[in-house]
Amino acid sequence: MAQPEGLLYSKEHEWVKIEGDTALVGITDYAQNSLGDIVYVELPRVGKAISQFGNVGVVESVKAVSDLFTPIGGEVLEINDTLENDPAAVNRDPYGAGWLFKVKLADANEKNNLLSAADYEKIATE
Amino acid sequence: MTASTDLRRTALYDEHVRLGARMVPFAGFSMPVQYTGVLREHDAVRHRAGLFDLSHMAQFVLEGPNVAEWAETLTINAVASMKPMQARYNIFCNPQGGAHDDTIFYRLENRWLLVVNGANAEKMWEHINANRAENVHLTNLHGRSALIAIQGPKSVEILQPHTNVDLANVKYYFCAEGTVYGHPAVIARTGYTGEDGFELFVDGAHASEIWNALLRDHEGDGLEACGLGSRDVLRLEAGMPLYGHELTEEITPVQAGLQWALKTAKPEFIGRNALIEQMERDEYPRIVGLVMEGRVPAREGYKVFLGDREVGEVRSGSMAPSVGGKNIATALVAKEAATVGTVLAVEIRGTKHEATVVQQPFYKRAK
Repeated sequence: MAQPEGLLYSKEHEWVKIEGDTALVGITDYAQNSLGDIVYVELPRVGKAISQFGNVGVVESVKAVSDLFTPIGGEVLEINDTLENDPAAVNRDPYGAGWLFKVKLADANEKNNLLSAADYEKIATE
Repeated sequence: MTASTDLRRTALYDEHVRLGARMVPFAGFSMPVQYTGVLREHDAVRHRAGLFDLSHMAQFVLEGPNVAEWAETLTINAVASMKPMQARYNIFCNPQGGAHDDTIFYRLENRWLLVVNGANAEKMWEHINANRAENVHLTNLHGRSALIAIQGPKSVEILQPHTNVDLANVKYYFCAEGTVYGHPAVIARTGYTGEDGFELFVDGAHASEIWNALLRDHEGDGLEACGLGSRDVLRLEAGMPLYGHELTEEITPVQAGLQWALKTAKPEFIGRNALIEQMERDEYPRIVGLVMEGRVPAREGYKVFLGDREVGEVRSGSMAPSVGGKNIATALVAKEAATVGTVLAVEIRGTKHEATVVQQPFYKRAK
């Protein structure tokens, strides 16, 4: 499946959409499909300082608990609290309604550590 | 880590791959954990019907005049009192009372079928051979014979047109010998989902034809291929133990709440003394059902607390669509924490989450 353009990706199957000095984070379609039906998402609390590639929460499917890593560092500005009652939004719309959290960037250069859509697609289809 | 090339394949392996199943290693086989999704497959079984490949489970054929008498000495439930074509749940224990395996005996006209858990197949084959008696002949069909389950409220309606057996005459925990799509089959009204349904014992050579024909002819009825993922949620909701979780070499049938299957009147069987003593002292940790507050699922191994005191651990846990979408679990807890209505706490990643002890099963189908 083609990855949306305009996003950057991590090897751990998260996407990030950078807009000015903030960034929106989610998991990829490949990730949600691999996990299966998502029943719970634990996100970092607002205000927390998180570092790139750090473990910031969990995503749980019916069958398994998976660690959630952030593709980008900074301060958590906002979390998608609709996921508390509708975690399946991550399955339905991983790049839209299923976004996870928003970060105020700590270091704009961190984006250089991320993958383009084309490079990520190679990993996801290996 | 086992390489996928080392895994065995059931007779239906190619069908699973063709259907796009996610295959995982299970009991030494490559098995489908899901086709379209665990929740969708769960829904099919609760409201329509689902088709499962259970060929990883081992089938042993037991023959000879002394089978019942012999099996009585190895198991906790009654065997000799079974009528022809009856099925019965039974447990093999070790001398300490721990469960060697939980199984089903099927008494056919001239032979018996013993179905054991796939993960215990080798252990059980060794166990029954090591304890073999005169005039008991054992055959291992593991990997040769297939087992297909159809489970769900539409099971009778779906299966009836394709068998020469009148399914209305096959009562719960009974079976019949007949044909399915013209091929010989033992058709048993047993299952592991809490729904009505059948388990079909067929030759591996006919498994694909039967599997494909059922899916093709009953797509319109909502029949779906279902994997081991949905099966685990279905059985947990229905209060059925899973070997390795609620029953182990250490967790006895008494601890698992399976006293109904323990026939202490039988004079001698492996584990009898230990089980009776455990039951009489009544001090043992026991399996309870838990319903969690909140949305965080409880998982195997999480610690369980009564107040500040650790009293046990979670053995199985899942979100339960048929229990209002709540998270349910089983836990092995100390006696004083096991009364229905007791509020316990499950520790999940450092935070305690409230959980209430409830009567199992969590889900019971409307009759």
